[in-house]
Amino acid sequence: MSAGISLLKRTAVEANTIFQRLDGRVKFLYFIWATVLVYIFYDPYLTLAFLIVTLAMAAYAKVFKPIAMTLLIIIVPWIILGVLILALPFGFPWNKTVIGYINVLGYRLPVYLEGLGWGITWPLRISVAISSALFFYLTTNQAKLVATLFKMKVPFKAIYMIIATFQFIPLLFDEANTIIQAQISRGLKTDVGVLQRIKNYLAVVIPLTISALNKVQTRAITLESRGFSAPVKKTFLYEARLTAADWAFLGIMAAVTVFLAWVYVTIGYSPVAHLQWIWA
Amino acid sequence: MSEPIIKVENLWYQYPESNFWALRGINLEIRRGELIALIGQNGGGKSTLAKNLNGLYKPTKGRVLVEGMDTKEVPTQEIVKRVGYVFQNPSHQIFESKVYDEVAYGPKNFGLSEDEIAERVEWALSLVGLQGYEDVHPYDLDYGKMKLLTVASVLAMKPDVLVLDEPTTGQDHRGRWILADLSKKLNREGFTIVTITHDMRYVAEVAKRTILIANGQIVMDGPTRKVLTALDILHKAAIKPPQVVQLAHALREKGIDAGDPLTVREALEEFKRLFKK
Amino acid sequence: MSEPIIKVERLAYSYPRKELVLYDINFEVNKGEVLGIIGPNGAGKSTLCKALNGLVPHFYGGKYGGRVVVAGMEVLEHTVAELSTKVGIVFQDPEEQMSGLALTVWEEVAFGLMMLGFPKEEIVRRVDEAIKQVGLEGFEKRSPFELSGGQQQRLAIATVLAVKPDVLVLDEPTAQLDPIGKFEVFSVIKRLAAEGSTIVVVEHEIEELATFADNILLLDQGRVKAYGPARDVLTQVEKLKSLGVDPPSVTELTYLLNKELGANLEVPITLDEAIKIYAEALGVS
Repeated sequence: MSAGISLLKRTAVEANTIFQRLDGRVKFLYFIWATVLVYIFYDPYLTLAFLIVTLAMAAYAKVFKPIAMTLLIIIVPWIILGVLILALPFGFPWNKTVIGYINVLGYRLPVYLEGLGWGITWPLRISVAISSALFFYLTTNQAKLVATLFKMKVPFKAIYMIIATFQFIPLLFDEANTIIQAQISRGLKTDVGVLQRIKNYLAVVIPLTISALNKVQTRAITLESRGFSAPVKKTFLYEARLTAADWAFLGIMAAVTVFLAWVYVTIGYSPVAHLQWIWA
Repeated sequence: MSEPIIKVENLWYQYPESNFWALRGINLEIRRGELIALIGQNGGGKSTLAKNLNGLYKPTKGRVLVEGMDTKEVPTQEIVKRVGYVFQNPSHQIFESKVYDEVAYGPKNFGLSEDEIAERVEWALSLVGLQGYEDVHPYDLDYGKMKLLTVASVLAMKPDVLVLDEPTTGQDHRGRWILADLSKKLNREGFTIVTITHDMRYVAEVAKRTILIANGQIVMDGPTRKVLTALDILHKAAIKPPQVVQLAHALREKGIDAGDPLTVREALEEFKRLFKK
Repeated sequence: MSEPIIKVERLAYSYPRKELVLYDINFEVNKGEVLGIIGPNGAGKSTLCKALNGLVPHFYGGKYGGRVVVAGMEVLEHTVAELSTKVGIVFQDPEEQMSGLALTVWEEVAFGLMMLGFPKEEIVRRVDEAIKQVGLEGFEKRSPFELSGGQQQRLAIATVLAVKPDVLVLDEPTAQLDPIGKFEVFSVIKRLAAEGSTIVVVEHEIEELATFADNILLLDQGRVKAYGPARDVLTQVEKLKSLGVDPPSVTELTYLLNKELGANLEVPITLDEAIKIYAEALGVS
């Protein structure tokens, strides 16, 4: 199983820090809030600050490693590529301010501030979104999450789809792995042309789809048999009530929002790095 | 005795991103024409070993030689031609809309001509008794026939060795007998067969040699009669031998020698002898 | 004699746009009895199980005739959810029965109760009890997906037991398991049977079934071919073999000995019986 998939596998041995105890809705709000704010501002330093705060919270909640791994796999290559393409003189119109030169294969190339800022800010923005989303997902107990979503009047079937999907992705990959092995055993070649590749794809996707559909039906039958759709008032072992810590966290978010609104109005969208808005 | 068709030398295997040894020092020789059962609990290493035999997995340490070829040095495609692997769940491999095409998939991958493919498909289908089903949709077959189809689709590649992974799981008794008879028939036709199974009646009926695997190691390897009557070792591995073996054993403890029957047929002969006395 | 817990009368059924898969099925299960259902694949065994908790016909649709009454409730007139407190059903594949909603074994068991609206204290008590009944103490905090097949299947049984149904229906609960898993699950079933649970179990492992089933129903192509006390059904060796069902080895062996030698041994259905019978017949005891 590849690293990307095993990251999604959660173990039940979880830490119990203040962040695990925060209400799922609060953490979900944090994810949306941070993602929107770093999008409104166009400043790598500010975005980095959000990322550091999120990662610090993740580290405290003992979920730093999977988040960091995900970022390494998804974001780092992107930054390297993005910075190179955007900051070097490939003729992008927004590149105006030369901040230095680098030597590449004997050529002395100018590096532009705007391109560099753009190349760093975008991946960082995505990092903030991914890390805050994972922070929410990895620190929120599933049973509590279900209870929370129920309270928010989300229909049970929708909740089931959201949560079960996360749980079954790793299983689906195991399944795909077995199918690929079965087809390789029948001479499936991986080093082939486009047409054959499509055929290969079918040899894996068809069995996988049939198998997944069968599993979905079995699960539907199982849950139905256990009375999950019973039209009664459900019991929740976890009270989805906001605690003092939740209110404190919300308070901090509100204060930061007010402060950043003031910054935006008085200084602008790039308060620290003073970047030019490159679409301008 | 002939040169082994598969030779496993001090095979150690670790799954990627795992630091657990799934196989620890397996040594094994499989000769042409053998009919072997691999038994043991899940997680003990049976499938991992079998997948090392057809090159799906490559040894982490040690080596596996298939007809003299080191599986680490030869592409998997070359190995799977020689060691066919029938997976447990038919729906993990069936994807064509006709029985014929499903069986033709392997030979097509080897770039054979249409005539050769047709010949092989007919040959494979007749071996498993599915001739006449060429145009049927595989998913319209019952579970037992689907299993036979997957066997045919691997046979069509004309491997020397056939690995059957839990062929009788999910089958009813009739399906089990059909697969037992098919295994014996294919063995008579010259295929070397390695069956992974939990079904001790199948083992008793079919296998000439049985290998018990636990914790990534070979616990016992010998003639099936010897392995299935080693009750202490089987007990430790939490495997129940066939009922007639248990009966003969219990009677022996009471001083009655009913021999070492493995099957109902054999037990019948033993008891006929005893009762005639 | 009190009213039977399960009463099936002239049941006939076909899935939508298909031919009949069950014809004229009649049987009863009293409180505390174990009914084993045997027969080849495609005989209608699973369909019959699903007819006991209302999945047939409520979930599948199709044509339905006759009557199934479970714990006083006519299946046709009650929803699957209503019946779920009366009939608990466990299926073949252990992993596919994990709800995917729970992170731990404890929560997996609790979920069904939560969905059925049991009070909180009751849930806690019942979950602990059910986990104990299947011997999964110590696994409460483990992920259901980390368990072995046998453990997962016991967990599936626990989720059903927690609801305290009147009847436990097991549809080939050991078919996908390794020998240890089979042993674990049979141990749980035998204990439940001994403690007086009412159980309907479909099994191909007839040698195991013979040790704890009171009655056996032999099904073939949707019809009941034999029904009665386990001993009566399992000793009909010719009939079983003709339908492709293997009786216990000791039963078949003794039947053949009687036939071929003209002996007159009592026909055993379990290993223990066989040992006793043979030891006596061969002059030791």
